[in-house]
Amino acid sequence: MTVIMGILEEGLIYAVMALGVYITYKILDFPDLSVDSTFPLGAALTASAILAGVSPALTLILSFLAGALAGCVTGFIHVKLKVRDLLSGIIVMTGLYSLNLRIAGGRANVPIFTQETIFENPFLAEHVPAPLSPYVIVLILFLITLACKVLLDLYLNTRSGYLLRAVGDNEALVTSLAKDKGMVKIIGLALANGFTALAGSVYCQHKGFFEISVGTGTMVIGLASVIMGIQLLTPETGTSPFSSVFKKELRPTTAVIAGSVLYKACISAAISLGLEANDLKLITSILFLIILVVSTERRKKVKTHA
Amino acid sequence: MKNYVKALILTAMASCLLAGCSGSSDSASQGDGKESYTIGIGQFAAHGSLDNCREGFLLGLAEEGIVEGENLTVLYENSQADGGIASQIVTNFASQNVDLICGIATPMAQSAYGIGKKQNIPVIYTAVTDPVAAELAGADGTPVGEITGTSDKLPVTQQLEMIRAILPHAKTIGIMFTTSEVNSLSTIEEYKAAASDYGFEIVDTGISTTADVPLAADSLLEKVDCITNLTDNTVVASLPVILDKAAKKNIPVFGSEIEQVKIGCLASMGLDYIDLGRQTGKMAAAVLKGEKKASEMKFEIIEEASFYGNTKVAENLGITFPEELTSSAKELFHEITQ
Amino acid sequence: MLKLNNINKYYNTGTVNEICLFEDFNLSIEEGEFVSVVGSNGSGKTSMLNIICGSIPVDSGTIYIGKENITHMPEFRRLRRIGRVYQNPAMGTCPHMTILENMALADNKGKPFNLRRGTDKKRVDSYRESLKTLGLGLEDKLHVKVGVLSGGQRQAMALLMSAMTPIEFLILDEHTAALDPKTAEVIMELTDQIVKSKHLTTIMVTHNLRYAVDYGSRLLMMHQGQAVMDKAGREKTAVKIEDLLERFNAISVECGN
Repeated sequence: MTVIMGILEEGLIYAVMALGVYITYKILDFPDLSVDSTFPLGAALTASAILAGVSPALTLILSFLAGALAGCVTGFIHVKLKVRDLLSGIIVMTGLYSLNLRIAGGRANVPIFTQETIFENPFLAEHVPAPLSPYVIVLILFLITLACKVLLDLYLNTRSGYLLRAVGDNEALVTSLAKDKGMVKIIGLALANGFTALAGSVYCQHKGFFEISVGTGTMVIGLASVIMGIQLLTPETGTSPFSSVFKKELRPTTAVIAGSVLYKACISAAISLGLEANDLKLITSILFLIILVVSTERRKKVKTHA
Repeated sequence: MKNYVKALILTAMASCLLAGCSGSSDSASQGDGKESYTIGIGQFAAHGSLDNCREGFLLGLAEEGIVEGENLTVLYENSQADGGIASQIVTNFASQNVDLICGIATPMAQSAYGIGKKQNIPVIYTAVTDPVAAELAGADGTPVGEITGTSDKLPVTQQLEMIRAILPHAKTIGIMFTTSEVNSLSTIEEYKAAASDYGFEIVDTGISTTADVPLAADSLLEKVDCITNLTDNTVVASLPVILDKAAKKNIPVFGSEIEQVKIGCLASMGLDYIDLGRQTGKMAAAVLKGEKKASEMKFEIIEEASFYGNTKVAENLGITFPEELTSSAKELFHEITQ
Repeated sequence: MLKLNNINKYYNTGTVNEICLFEDFNLSIEEGEFVSVVGSNGSGKTSMLNIICGSIPVDSGTIYIGKENITHMPEFRRLRRIGRVYQNPAMGTCPHMTILENMALADNKGKPFNLRRGTDKKRVDSYRESLKTLGLGLEDKLHVKVGVLSGGQRQAMALLMSAMTPIEFLILDEHTAALDPKTAEVIMELTDQIVKSKHLTTIMVTHNLRYAVDYGSRLLMMHQGQAVMDKAGREKTAVKIEDLLERFNAISVECGN
């Protein structure tokens, strides 16, 4: 049971970030590398803010805003200064590394073990009955992830959300609708990096410290989660092996969250099987490739049948 | 919502399967005073000193009668300096119900504590330079929770004393450090505070990545009579570059531990990491046997440092080690290992 | 209504590959006109549309809509009053969104894209009505993703969507060229219907000479960045396909083909 709890905790923390990557990679079709730095941005800001006495719940919102701002910068560099998408992300990622260190007060490692966090505070200690306490963290994470997912689903069904989906689907149509596609992209990047920084904040409060290296590979984790979730769990890209379980078509946001948990389960299994951390990246990339190839194969088949 | 819950349950089940193939924890976990133990050792990065720590740790346990393969199952993982993996490793240990987690180096110790305290798993750390700054212990050394261990704080004054003995006329010591490494910052402060007692001035230069090392080394070598190293990971990894440049200018470079002396540093007053690990292992044994709780033990520091010297380097530089150092040397090397 | 004055446009300026597209090009289109544009490849038909819409900038010259100078207005602003249908049916719709969502998107053109619900429930019936006019049965597939529709169905939707909100101009860029003859016929009739019922000023580029003759109130033949034939009103009604072919051949001979 504790194995599953552990995987769920890790998976749900990263799920919020994966939702962000879903926005950039799946909806906007924009390979956004800035998430590698907005994840630690959220963590750094949270550590500093909590030490300064800011309420832990409020740091979640602050982190979201800071991440959104960073996303706007990536968008601005890409849209207004006409720098290629990958490069804009790399520029922001590199610059934010220094800025993150500054936000953390010049330190690469800021512990907040003794501080109150959203997972550990007098309110929870008082109100949560003892038999529930082992599940409290998963429960809180579940609620945060659910809230993010529902808000994102709601947003994607607003007029602004329609436009966001349209810009990744068909840029020309957005222009035809007399809307500046650049602005729409900036909004999308802001949202995505907001979610990522929010995940960073949750991560920091869960682990009890900020470390400058936590952002390394965020994008890869996010991509892996998105691809695993979407390809394996949504029937749209072919017949899902699990599609019979779900009455309705699974929402992509749900699939992404499940993908994140699944990814962490794979990593956990890989570690347990005695694979070295050195090899994990290689395994991730192979896993990646297999899923991508299998899903394109399937799509091809669907097409030839049509 | 329904689908969301279903999907999560499904993935949880899949995780179960995946995790199932990992082989779960030791059957014995009925509290203190039992026959056999399972511990998880998480090491943050792979380098000589940390490996020695781990080796010493197991020796220390064995001396207390807890022997790997007999009454001890050891789960060992290395995170290769990746913070995300570090926390995943510890989560894995916790989910296998280990009796104790040993965290080697600061980030691993912090991850272990963050996870361990939620599941009441005691944590023993080693090779944490400043447990107080890492918030693993209070200012007086008392643990913040069920966590204690040993610190590998550099013997700064002894190193300065040694440099003075070898180089009676030197005035300035250069130190290169990575701006993102917390331990380096606090050690430099200590060097600066103590330097004047030995008639030295400290010149420091910060770098942010490996790529900065060559230029920083050039500029540092212009200003100093000798260089001393910290245990700064980035700088140590690029040590050959610095040694090469320093050798060309005939400037001695002092190391901070044995491995650095092996590869070409002139000398070092260093910790014996095996001893450090052994000391840590004994603390862990006390916790495992239920003699003491981790929260009841202050963290420990190895007080005595030993002299390590490289005579080949000394010969190249035209320096002879003073007799009182060589006689007390723990180990002398007569060649440079590449 | 629409005026292009002294337009100059070169490609690859300053290189050996410099191509002159337009030199002192002038065109004026009156309100309510339906202009069919024909011409060989590279004659500047599509470039002209791109210049009007702002997809490509001009080197010099001015563009007016009514009294307003729009020469330096960005493309997306100009398109507020212009509807455009492209040759590629995929360009006019979002494949991963449903028919209903696409209709709602188009319906919201010119209004703010804010946080209100994307699909206005009250409008669904009217979407269904207008889809019914296409006669393709799309009104029963509101929740189907547009990506699974055929090219003809998509182009019909694109046409419907482009003229859904009040616009002043309809720009048709070879919008039947990628369709099979039968579907092309359907789309062309639909176009005529929409243009007539909404009284839209229209510019249609086509390679189909019969469409150019049968539809529209004015006919323009482009060659090397100039309008070599421009007939309106009664003159236009008198034009036959043979006349156009003859003219084409004459041009080809001039060019030495």
